[in-house]
Amino acid sequence: MSKVSERDVVMIALFAALIAVLGLVPKLTLASGIPITAQTLGIMLCGTVLGAWRGAAAAALFCLLTLLGLPLLAGGRGGLGVLMTPWAGFFVGFPIAAFVTGLVMERMRALPVAAGAAAGSVFGGIVALYVFALAWYMLAKPAGLGEAVTVAALPFIPGDLIKAVLAALVTQALAKARPGALPSRG
Amino acid sequence: MSEIRLERAAYGVNGREILCPLTLTLDERRIGVVGRNGSGKSTLARLLAGLIAPTGGAVMVGGDDLFADRKAALARVGILFQNPDHQIIFPTCGEEVSFGLVQQGRNDAEAAARAAMAEIGKAHWWDRPVGTLSGGQRHLLCLVSVLAMAPEWLILDEPFAGLDIPTTRALHARLAALPQRVVMISHDPEALEGFDRVIWLEAGAVAADGPASEVLARFRAAMEGEGDDLTDLAG
Amino acid sequence: MISLTSPVETVFHRWPAGLKLALLCVAGTGLFMLASLAGQLVALALVAAFYTLPGMRFARAGLAALRPVALFAALIAAWHVATGTLAEGAVIVLRLLSAVALANLVTMTTRLADMLAVLHWLTAPLRRIGLNTRPPELAISLVIRFIPVLSEKGAALAESYRARSPRRRAGWRIAAPLAGLALDDADHVAEALRARGGLSEGARK
Ligand SMILES: Nc1ncnc2c1ncn2[C@@H]1O[C@H](COP(=O)(O)OP(=O)(O)OP(=O)(O)O)[C@@H](O)[C@H]1O
Ligand SMILES: [Mg+2]
Repeated sequence: MSKVSERDVVMIALFAALIAVLGLVPKLTLASGIPITAQTLGIMLCGTVLGAWRGAAAAALFCLLTLLGLPLLAGGRGGLGVLMTPWAGFFVGFPIAAFVTGLVMERMRALPVAAGAAAGSVFGGIVALYVFALAWYMLAKPAGLGEAVTVAALPFIPGDLIKAVLAALVTQALAKARPGALPSRG
Repeated sequence: MSEIRLERAAYGVNGREILCPLTLTLDERRIGVVGRNGSGKSTLARLLAGLIAPTGGAVMVGGDDLFADRKAALARVGILFQNPDHQIIFPTCGEEVSFGLVQQGRNDAEAAARAAMAEIGKAHWWDRPVGTLSGGQRHLLCLVSVLAMAPEWLILDEPFAGLDIPTTRALHARLAALPQRVVMISHDPEALEGFDRVIWLEAGAVAADGPASEVLARFRAAMEGEGDDLTDLAG
Repeated sequence: MISLTSPVETVFHRWPAGLKLALLCVAGTGLFMLASLAGQLVALALVAAFYTLPGMRFARAGLAALRPVALFAALIAAWHVATGTLAEGAVIVLRLLSAVALANLVTMTTRLADMLAVLHWLTAPLRRIGLNTRPPELAISLVIRFIPVLSEKGAALAESYRARSPRRRAGWRIAAPLAGLALDDADHVAEALRARGGLSEGARK
């Protein structure tokens, strides 16, 4: 990691804001009654567009501001209360998700942008995030693996798969509109 | 007071030369820069302010490399961008003006910012969202933000663009009274009348450099003689 | 930027932010270790009392802030009903409510500026070992600045989408152009930042 530049800081701040703004996009509700929002789409985009460390920094910044009391989570939630539910791993894990997403995107340069972004989003935004969040759930509630998977993972997976596809489409659209503008592939 | 030295300073993007190697020493109180659209005036301004590093040669202000040393740069050079929307960072006028002062490490940043706004009669702008200002008003806000920081040099990239006649006149008087050294880019030769020196840029090179009356007369004559055709615009 | 701080001035507003955060850590740990149902009931009653102390308007706001937890509480309750572990489930649901309510209480009574001051204080050791904490601090104020700007741009994009589409809502479709606008802005803001000192170390205080 080279010295941080103004452009890095600005880009990180802009994408942290983007995560927040995507949380405002009206949510749709899946048949299971679980709302899905574009917020995790924002996390995946941090990784696919900014790359590993910048993406993780943007997600961490978003988490920090939410905890400090800004209502940035979908539905206007925020504040320290977010940390107190057993599901908090899904929130605290955002930087990890963005990091892994970005890492996959950076390492799989041979893949076309859309495929790399889809793979990154699945590994980072779903696999890595769920592993972390389920471990958190099991420790915080406390609960066994079976319960954690049933209550904390299964209901959300369909929505997150949709978002991984969207993240790939959005990243590809960006790469097409601004050739050479993806720091993750820069 | 510090002087600005350019030693074979050049700037290019993707192999295209935007500024040819320039060797200049700027130490007059009032320096004007003229030239056609795309001749490299704004690029020169960004180079002088240390916003970009020369791709060849060196730019030094009072012995400091302002690109590398941003802390020194704040006391040395303030720049007014050609486009105010590219300069404004914060959502309210008060925050925008205070920011530079906070960056300078001043403890009285807010008070100083308020004083600077009061000086141009815009104290009531403090809480005003920047988005509600007109284009010309934004330009004025940017100018106040820079003036408040009281740098040794002011680089003004077309400070009068979009301002109405009374505001231009008031600003002109204000700038004339400033103790600082000024580099002013302008398309209006009249605004540079009485300056100590004027530099005329053409396609990234100095076409003329000397006393205002002389250079401006030649510049005017050349501009009158130009065709009414846009194809020869640089870029 | 609207924060979650309550406009109703309470005694807790006057407590130092650092103290509130420390107490929250202690209370959170206590709640986690407390395994008895009666104990959890008392704890919840105590938390409720804190909320009613400043008056009913504040208490109602507090209750509204708890609403999102309902879904989580219901999921947990459903699991424990299904597995027949009711007593255990009750302890966990009560603990969840108390812990979230206490944390919300700190959020509702602490201004963002005070939170940032605590953060600045907590990161002091980093500065002492020579790390520059200015970039993250600057980033925080930039995010607060960008959110309203980006959401305005998002709204404008959604509108121009609707103007040329039979769909009523643009939804995620504005994500790509919005991210594009963010990337375009980055260059200009970075330069404006450089013009006024950029990330220069120790520029502040
Ligand atoms: N980032 C960039 N990438 C590529 N070309 C650039 C870049 N910035 C400037 N240029 C080119 O450099 C040349 C000089 O631009 P500059 O903005 O300095 O002109 P100017 O003299 O300020 O013009 P104007 O009077 O229109 O403001 C132009 O031809 C422009 O197209
Ligand atoms: Mg220009």
